Amino acid sequence: MSNVTQGAVLGKDDPVLRTDGLKKSFGGLTATDDVSFEVERGTITGLIGPNGAGKSTLFNLVSGFYEPDEGSVSVNGTDVTDHEPHEIVGEGMVRTFQTPRKPEGMSVREAMLVGPQGQTGESILPLFTSSSTVRREERQSLERAEEMLERFEIADLATQSATDLSGGQMKLVELARAMMSDPDLLLLDEPVAGVNPVLAQKLAGFIEELHAEGQSFLIIEHDMSFIMRLADPIIVLNQGSVLVEGPPDAVRSDDRVVDAYLGGPA
Amino acid sequence: MASILQFIANGLVFSSIIVLGSIGLSLVYSIADFANFAHGDTMTIGAYGALVTFGLVGGVGGTFLGLPLGFYIALVVGMGLAAVVAVITHVFVYRPLSTTSIGLLITSIGVAFVYRAGLQAIFGTDFRNYDVPRSGPLPFIQDSLGIAVTARGLAIVVLAAILVAGTHALLQYTTLGRKMRAMADNPDLARVSGIRTKRVILATWVIGSALAAAGGVFLGLFSQIDPRIGFDLLLIIFAAVILGGIGSVYGAMLGGFLIGMIHELTPLLKDVGIPIGIQYAPAVAFVIMVVVLLARPRGIAGELT
Amino acid sequence: MSTASLTDRIGSFSRGEQVATAGVGLLAAVLLVGVVVGWITVTYLLYLVALAGMYVLLSMGLNVQWGYGGLINFSVAAFFGVGAYGSALLTADSSPVAGGFSPVVGLVAGLLVAAVLAVIIGIPTLQLRDDYLAIASLGLAEVVRMIVLNEREITAGSAGLTGIPLFFADWPVLGSLEYPFVLYVGDTALFTMERSLLIAELNVLLVVVFIAVVYLFLRRIHLSPWGRVLRTIRTDEDLAKSLGKDTYRFKMQAFVIGSVIMALAGVFYTHLVLYLNPQDLAPVLTFYVWIAVILGGSGSDRGAIFGGFTIIALQQGTRFLNAAGTIPVDPAALRLMIVGVLIIAIVRVRQEGILPPEKELIWPGSTEGSADE
Repeated sequence: MSNVTQGAVLGKDDPVLRTDGLKKSFGGLTATDDVSFEVERGTITGLIGPNGAGKSTLFNLVSGFYEPDEGSVSVNGTDVTDHEPHEIVGEGMVRTFQTPRKPEGMSVREAMLVGPQGQTGESILPLFTSSSTVRREERQSLERAEEMLERFEIADLATQSATDLSGGQMKLVELARAMMSDPDLLLLDEPVAGVNPVLAQKLAGFIEELHAEGQSFLIIEHDMSFIMRLADPIIVLNQGSVLVEGPPDAVRSDDRVVDAYLGGPA
Repeated sequence: MASILQFIANGLVFSSIIVLGSIGLSLVYSIADFANFAHGDTMTIGAYGALVTFGLVGGVGGTFLGLPLGFYIALVVGMGLAAVVAVITHVFVYRPLSTTSIGLLITSIGVAFVYRAGLQAIFGTDFRNYDVPRSGPLPFIQDSLGIAVTARGLAIVVLAAILVAGTHALLQYTTLGRKMRAMADNPDLARVSGIRTKRVILATWVIGSALAAAGGVFLGLFSQIDPRIGFDLLLIIFAAVILGGIGSVYGAMLGGFLIGMIHELTPLLKDVGIPIGIQYAPAVAFVIMVVVLLARPRGIAGELT
Repeated sequence: MSTASLTDRIGSFSRGEQVATAGVGLLAAVLLVGVVVGWITVTYLLYLVALAGMYVLLSMGLNVQWGYGGLINFSVAAFFGVGAYGSALLTADSSPVAGGFSPVVGLVAGLLVAAVLAVIIGIPTLQLRDDYLAIASLGLAEVVRMIVLNEREITAGSAGLTGIPLFFADWPVLGSLEYPFVLYVGDTALFTMERSLLIAELNVLLVVVFIAVVYLFLRRIHLSPWGRVLRTIRTDEDLAKSLGKDTYRFKMQAFVIGSVIMALAGVFYTHLVLYLNPQDLAPVLTFYVWIAVILGGSGSDRGAIFGGFTIIALQQGTRFLNAAGTIPVDPAALRLMIVGVLIIAIVRVRQEGILPPEKELIWPGSTEGSADE
C-alpha cells in the first residue's frame, strides 16, 4: 500500500492545525507519545484508533484542556501551546464533547446564542452604555441561530427546554452551536456515539454539506462506516503514537491497522 | 533553644490531632467524592461519645500511659459511635441523593448543623472535661530536655502514632486497603476497573470517622469539649488536606503534621519579625492554604501518589 | 409561536408561585393580626420588614454567585461584616479609627473593601474546581471574624460599636426633621408621628430603594449574553470554555458583584440597628442566606426575595415558640437543627427550589424582532 504512510503526513500545503511531538503522561502512564500530525485546510480528517490509543487525550491537548509535557500545537500558524481553551477558540478552532451535558434550564435557542464569539453584551459595562448595540447583536445572533437550526432541520425545537432533547438531538444542537462561533476548524468528538442510525445518516449529510462549503473538520469516531464514508485522510493512532495516515480505503485494508485493532503486534 | 523545643513538643501533640482528622477527610474526599463539611462535627461526636462513656466506666482498672483504662474503653466507644453515625448518615442521607459532588457538599453542611444542634440540645454549650486527673510535666523529660510535657500529651502522641501506623498497615497490606488507595489515587480509573464497590465506600466512612473521632477525643483531652470544637477545627483540617494534596492519604498525614506544627509554632513568628498573636494561628493555616492553592493546587504530595 | 409560549409561562401562576404567594401572604396575615391584637407594635413590624429587606439583599447577592454562576460562597457573613464594619468604623462616634464621616462615605468604603476582598479570595480559587472556593471562603469568614474580634484598637472587639448614625442623619430635610413629627395643614395638625415610627418607615423606604436599584441592575446583567454565559458555566464550565468564554473573568465578575451586594446589606444593617458587634458576623448568617437562595430557587431573583422573608419567618417563629415556652430545647440549637434539616431536605426533595428561574436569558426586545419574520 504505497499511499499509506508510516506515521503522519507532514509538510502539507496549508495546515489549519499542526502538532509537533506532543507528549503527555499521567502518573507514569504515557497517554500520548511524540504525536505530530497536520490537518489540511478544507479536509475532513478522521482520527481513529483502538480504545486507549490516546485519541481523547490528544483532543484535550490540542484544545487546551490539558497542558502537554512536551511538544507544541499551532492553529492557523499561531503557536497556541499552553494557551487557555478560550484563547484557542479565538484562534479559530472549536471542539465538541463526546457526551454533551444538557444545559439545564436553557431553551435550545438560548443555548445556541452562547456560540457567537466576541459578543458586546458579554461585558458588563456595555449592557448599560450601549444597549442598542447589544440588542442589534442579539437579533442578528437569533436570526443566525434560527437559520442554523432550520438548516439542521430542528427549527421546531428552538424554544424547547434543552433538557427535553434526546441524545441525538443534543448532538445536532452541539454541532449547530459550534458553527455559530464561525470556526476555521471544527473538532468533533464521536459525533454519532449513541445516535440512532437514521439521525446519524442525517448528521453525516450535514457534515458533508458544510464541508462542501469549505468547512474543515477533525473527527474522532468509533463508527467505522461513518468515518470511512466522510473522512479523507484518516490518521490512525495506536498506543499513544500515530501509526499510519492515508485515504480511507487504503487504511481499512492496511495490515498494520488491522493488527492494531486486533491487539496484535503493531 | 529550650523554648523552641517546647513549642515543637506542643506542636507534636496538636499535629497528632490534626493528622487524625486529615486522614479521614482526605479519604472521604477522594472516595465518596465530595468535600465533607460535617467531618469536624464527626470529631465532636466522638469527643462527646467518649465523655458519656467515661462518665460511666471511669473507674475501671489501672492505668496505661498515665491514662485510666476506662478512658481507652471510652475512646473506642467514641470512635465506634462516630462510625455508626457516619454510616447511618451515608446510607440515609448521602447515598439516596442523585446529585453532583457539589450537591453532596452543600448537604454535608446541613448534616454538620444537625450533628451540632443535636449535641447542643443534649449537652448545652458549656465547656466540659474528661475527668482524668491532670498531672504536671513528666520529670524524666523535664530533666533530660528541659521542656514540659504532660503525661496526657505524651499519650496523645503515642496513641495517634499507633492509629496512624494501623491505618498505614491497613492501606498497604490488606485487599480493602489496596482498593481504597486505588480509588483515592484515581477515582475514574478505579470506577472503570470496577473497584468502586459499596463496601469500599462504607469502609471509608467507618475508618475515616473513627479516626476523626479519636482526634476529637484527643482534642477534648488536650483542651476542652464543647459542641463547636470540631467545626472550629475544620478550616485547619481542610488546610492540611489541601497542603498534602486532595486524594493522597499520605499527603494528608504530612499536611496534617506540618499544619499542626505551624499552628503551634505561630508565636515564634514574632522572633523572625512577624508580630502575630497565637489567636491568629488558624489564620496562618488559612494563608498557607491560599498560597498552596496559588502555587501548587495539587498539594506538596500531589505528584507522589 | 415563540413569544406565545413565553407569555404563557409568565402569565399564569406556577405551582411554586402559588406556594410562595401563599407563604408570604400567611406571614403577612400573622404579623397583621399580631399588630391588631397588640403582640407587636407597628414600629417593630416595620423593623422586621426592614430586616427582611436586608436578608433579601443578602440573598440577591448570593444568588448572583450561586444561582447565576454556581459559585459556592460560604463567606456571606464576612462580606456582610465588611460592609457593616466598614461603614460603622467611618461613621460611629465610638469608632476607634475614624468616625464622624457621612454614612454615604461609609457606604462607598464598605463596598470597595468588599470588592477588594472578593478579588483577593477569587484569584487563588476561581481557576480551580468549585469546591476550593467553598473551602477557602469558609476560611475567609473565620479570619475576618477573628480580626474583628481581636483587633480591639481598630474594631472595638467584643465591646462592639455604638453611636452609629442613621443612614440619612446628615441628609437635608430628613436629617433635620423635628420629633415628634407633626404635619400641619393650615393651623390644624393633620397627624402626629413618633420619632421611632418615622425612622422605621424611612428605613423601610431606604431598603426598598436599595432592593429596587439592585434588582434593576441584576435584571439587566442577568437577562443578557453575560448572564447566559454564567448559566452555561453553572451547568458545565468546560463547555463554556470550549465555546471561547474566559470563564475565570465571568466567575470573578459574578463573585465581586455578589459580594458587593452583600456588603450593601451590611451597610444597611449597621445604620438600621445602630450597634454592631462580632456576634453579627456569626457563620449561621451565611447559612440562613443559603437556605433563602436554594429554597427560593437558585438563579431566580424572585426566589431570592421570597427566601429573604422566609428567614424572618424562621427566626421570629423559633423566637416566638421559645417565648411561648412550648419547647424544652435551647432555641439556638433548635434554629441550627431547622437550618440543617432544611438544607438536607431541599437538596433531596426539590433541588430547583420553589421558584426556579424560568426566563430565557436573551436581551429583552430581541426576540420580538426575530419572531416577526
